[in-house]
Amino acid sequence: MDKAIIRRVQRRDRIARWTITLGGVAIIVSVIAILVLIVSVTLPLFRPPRDEIVSKTALPAAFSDKEVLALGIDRVELGDRAARDSLTGYVVTQDGRFTFLDFSSRHTPSAVGQVANLSYSTRSVPGALKKTLRFVENHAGTRYSLLWSDGSASLVDAVMKPRFDESGKRSVEHELRTLAAFPPEKGPLPLQALLRAAEGGAVTCVTLLPGNRLSVVRRVSSENLLGEEETIEHRRTIEEGIPGPIRALALDGTGKTLYAGTENGCLAIWQFDAKGQIVHHEVVPAFRDKRAVTALAMVFGDVSLAVGDARGEVTVWSEVRRGDSRKLRLLHRLSQGGKGVREILPSCRKKSLLSLDGDGEIRLDYVTSQRNLLRLTGAGPIRTAGYAPRGNAAIGLGGGDELVVWKIDCPHPEVSWATLFGKVHYEGYAEPEFKWQTTGEEPKFSLVPVIFGTLKATVYAMLFAVPLALFGAVYVSYFTSPGWKNTIKPVVEIMAALPSVVIGFLILLWFAPLLGRWIVAVFTAMVTIPFVFFLFLLAWQGVRKLHWAKRVEHGYEFLVLVPVMVAGAGLACAAAGPLERWLFRSYHGMFTEWLFQVTQKPYEQLNSLAVAFGLGFAVIPIIFSISEDSLSNIPYSLTAASQALGASRWQTLWRIILPSASPGIFAAVMIGFGRAVGETMIVFMAAGNAPLLDISPFNGFRTLSANIAVEIPEAPVGGTLYRVLFLCAVILFVMTFLLNTVAEVVRQRLRKRFGQY
Amino acid sequence: MRPRKATQRFWRQGEPFVWASGAALALTLSMTAVLLGVVLRNGLGVFWPSPVAEVELADGTRLLGEELQTQINPDTGVESVKFKVGNMEDGPAFRWVEKRVIRKKFYPPGAFVLERLTNMNYYGTFQDLQTPGWESTTEGTPAERLDAALAAVRDQYNQVVQPLADQQAAVAEELKSRLKYQILRAEYDRKHRLAEGAAPDADAVVRLEKHLAELRADEQRLKQKSDRLTAELSEKEANLRRNVAIFRDAQGREKPIALLDIVRYTRPNQMGFGSKAAHYGAKIWELLTADPRESNQDGGLYPAIFGTVLMVFLMAATCFPLGVVAGVYLGEYAKEGPLVRLVRIAVNNLAGIPSIVYGVFGLGFFIYLIGGQFDAWFFPERVEAGEPVFGQGCILWASLTLGLLTIPVVIVSTEEALRAIPRGVREGSYALGATKLQTLWRVLVPMASPGMMTGFILAMARAAGEVAPLMLTGAVKNAPVPLDSTFPFLHPDRQFMHLGYHILDISCKSPNVEATKPMVYVTTLLLLLIVLSLSSVAIYLRSRMRKRYYMRAI
Repeated sequence: MDKAIIRRVQRRDRIARWTITLGGVAIIVSVIAILVLIVSVTLPLFRPPRDEIVSKTALPAAFSDKEVLALGIDRVELGDRAARDSLTGYVVTQDGRFTFLDFSSRHTPSAVGQVANLSYSTRSVPGALKKTLRFVENHAGTRYSLLWSDGSASLVDAVMKPRFDESGKRSVEHELRTLAAFPPEKGPLPLQALLRAAEGGAVTCVTLLPGNRLSVVRRVSSENLLGEEETIEHRRTIEEGIPGPIRALALDGTGKTLYAGTENGCLAIWQFDAKGQIVHHEVVPAFRDKRAVTALAMVFGDVSLAVGDARGEVTVWSEVRRGDSRKLRLLHRLSQGGKGVREILPSCRKKSLLSLDGDGEIRLDYVTSQRNLLRLTGAGPIRTAGYAPRGNAAIGLGGGDELVVWKIDCPHPEVSWATLFGKVHYEGYAEPEFKWQTTGEEPKFSLVPVIFGTLKATVYAMLFAVPLALFGAVYVSYFTSPGWKNTIKPVVEIMAALPSVVIGFLILLWFAPLLGRWIVAVFTAMVTIPFVFFLFLLAWQGVRKLHWAKRVEHGYEFLVLVPVMVAGAGLACAAAGPLERWLFRSYHGMFTEWLFQVTQKPYEQLNSLAVAFGLGFAVIPIIFSISEDSLSNIPYSLTAASQALGASRWQTLWRIILPSASPGIFAAVMIGFGRAVGETMIVFMAAGNAPLLDISPFNGFRTLSANIAVEIPEAPVGGTLYRVLFLCAVILFVMTFLLNTVAEVVRQRLRKRFGQY
Repeated sequence: MRPRKATQRFWRQGEPFVWASGAALALTLSMTAVLLGVVLRNGLGVFWPSPVAEVELADGTRLLGEELQTQINPDTGVESVKFKVGNMEDGPAFRWVEKRVIRKKFYPPGAFVLERLTNMNYYGTFQDLQTPGWESTTEGTPAERLDAALAAVRDQYNQVVQPLADQQAAVAEELKSRLKYQILRAEYDRKHRLAEGAAPDADAVVRLEKHLAELRADEQRLKQKSDRLTAELSEKEANLRRNVAIFRDAQGREKPIALLDIVRYTRPNQMGFGSKAAHYGAKIWELLTADPRESNQDGGLYPAIFGTVLMVFLMAATCFPLGVVAGVYLGEYAKEGPLVRLVRIAVNNLAGIPSIVYGVFGLGFFIYLIGGQFDAWFFPERVEAGEPVFGQGCILWASLTLGLLTIPVVIVSTEEALRAIPRGVREGSYALGATKLQTLWRVLVPMASPGMMTGFILAMARAAGEVAPLMLTGAVKNAPVPLDSTFPFLHPDRQFMHLGYHILDISCKSPNVEATKPMVYVTTLLLLLIVLSLSSVAIYLRSRMRKRYYMRAI
């Protein structure tokens, strides 16, 4: 032969070998990479939070002679690169100045804007510019209650407005907006003042007066009949019901709930109505050891109260409803630190808290997950601290008048193993619970109800599917004629191709309403079908003497049984009505009424029973065909030997075939289980999708797969919900992968064992 | 004596268990039959015109409509008849009537059923025509007159309105898809140049600004044209709409119905078998070729059928070659060892991974990672405007996701088909001097082709019926066909309609489930037809192949 041809052929062969090998390996690797990618999306959930000092500079000289009362910081993340972030801080000094500093560039911060002495109105007495600040309190991120040296108080908002120029460059404009102002009162100078401006226009000012007294002024403006604006002030002084010397105060955003913490470890709560009347008052001895409450703050959402104490511990308290009574109760214990908490600053986007203790250490905690996120170090003891409203930066003033700015990178503080798989005491709940609810201020990410729903669906479905599929497979592979076997097997395989969306919709629109009407008949059928079957068998004893009947016993039994089954079902339907009326005669003759009376839960039309039928129907073909395969693979010689020894056909099956094929049957059940676990459309359409933790077959559930389908369209990319849903996918993947691998290994063993025959 | 012995043996030998297993099979098969029966019964009858009954109730009110079913009303617990009375503008389209209050029921021969563009069917009797647009005869039967009027109005529509509408659509398309994005692009470029530090009077910036001004002028011009066309169109249409047919409903209320709104009419009580069959055929044709109307309650399924088929073919084009390469590698090239065994288990396993997990993967990998990156490179302006191209669900990503889902089926069937070929065949080929590639290409692949074909068809059947991943990767309730006359003709970046998703959408998310039910059954029937015929072919092929190799092995 021509050598050139041979060379060409060989070259082609080599090229083909390499391409196919490369292609094959690449495809297999990339298919396996699926898991890797999904897992990689979930990993940031468990990444520890990080902090980074972005600026550490001496306080500008202009401040050296003034006392710094408060600090603030605002970080806006623009794009993926941290270098593009906008970081603006501000310093509040005793002379009533807010000085804004730009930290975006890593150089020395430059004072970019100053707002001079805030005078609350033109009515101020001459010499008002000489006032200084006595007390500053921060809430809602950028709002400050200022108490001046003359006893007047004002509420200002440090507004930072971003602006974009033509080329898309961003700059920040600063402004101080005075939201409310209260003139000085007669009498002694107050020690603290807390001001709140609610959305409806009501303004509240709570002041702590010497002598452990509280004064509450509520200014409500409304329109009178003539359409004029009218302002009414409600005043009230609280002297009684205070359990001890007040150390700290907190007021919610509407100004209607006031908390006080005392020297002797008590918490007091007052709730006011719109006119400033006290509608609820309660004193809770919070700490048995009577440690002083040193700092209070409202957690984001204005429901829970963060309490810092003299032992340096931060705890979170919330009102819990028990029947008709409300009681302030301890919900979460957060991290513990040094000498005593000086200040607690909440974030305005998430339930995270920054606390500064007596040792000058800054700690970051997340309330719901009770995670201690970070301890900000690297700057010595801190005197004053500020926390970004978005919770992504902090600022502190260190010992040597050093101004330190931290970037905080902690995108998913609300997730921990405890919140995913454990009971958590959420706000407004009487006790710790497993809860999945992703909307609201406190998203609840417990996967337990969803995993429970998955198992509930699967177990109910398998209870229905496994007996039918296995018995059916046994019959088809051993008792029926080859002709029927070759017909039934393909039919069942075609059934396996039935799209699950079709089953889902049939359950939703056809079966579930039907089941609602015939629920008693379903239970009746469980008795009548065996009963009719038994009757038939007795009757059959008479018939089987006939010649034609003998042929039925050679693989045609199931055909004769079809009318028997139908008769059993018919009997159930006929008996169900009277039976229901009689059994539940004291409940209007209705099963659903009885169910509601007994379990206090209504019968839901989209319930586990309906889904179990659908899901079972979807997995029957899979279990059937795999177990039929493994039964048929048992060599015929075993059957022949057994029957030659005089065993009957059932005895052969029971004693010889089933033990040999049991690994295959086990594999079939495992694979069916895996399919039921991951099935999406049927449960998504027909299970109602309420994440309940309830074993009752008469209500719905939510599975992992349906959870993904329900929630992912609304999940922002990269957000916590998005990643938790990917975690659901990982759990599904792992569950099915384990089930399938076990099944596959068992099957391969079985194949090896009987491959020799 | 003998019979008792036989009976004893019957029990002792475990015969009842055999019967019990037979009963399980009988139950399974009857349930399957019931399920398919329900779909067939409800799906096939949808388009068959059912008689229109007029009912007089005890309180004197009259109803005209189709009698649907008689059962215990779940809300009241009284035996009631459910009527479809249509005429949505006058009240609910479905009415439960208690059986005992029905005083009289008859089938008026003159009852018309009008299929309309909005407000569902109208049931009533023909009264008169009012056609200011042309002279219409007062001669002839109502049907003849209505036929003539409908033909005339359609004629006028095709002559006057249709060209305008086409023109308007073309202009709108030009504005919406071409100009808008060109302007976005130019604006983005200019902004970027400035942000990069170019002076506002630099050449490039000036050029861009000029270009932008031109585009804006163009847009302005087209917008004016579009507005003019729209105004003209609505005027012409309103003119045509003045031609009405007056019908009277069961209560005696007269109602003018614009001829333009009438899609077709039937008089079921007068129709014979032939005309009913013709109507049935026409409806099926509409189902296969027309767009859906009345928020997917009625009309056709053409976009959904097209979307399903196109998606399956795109899936096949990407997944089959890759799957075959991987299967050939595993079957012919890979050296048997623990690693290959592991890989085989993994591939088998992948077939059992829930489809929603693939959907999640498609969302995370194809849409957000690949699509997002692609958009960042080529369409940054559209990302900024919040209209990603490949960074959202589309038919391309949906078919690739389904390709991944079905690739294990192809790999496994290819490998098994190759392994089923007796070793002698390969050895014979090698003995004749063929190389491995030649053996593979000339001998093994042709022999294994039926097996591979089976894998392909099974994969296609699975892809056609799978919905869960599509929910996340681009199936929507309403979208045009992703193939049209504008470049590049096939639009892989478009969202699409899918039969399975259509079932989900109209059965779960429709506000009026009762009205959409017939359509759900029809869609189901169509989907079942596609999926079950595909898998039957595959199973038939497989059984034939098995026989062939069985013979050969002997």
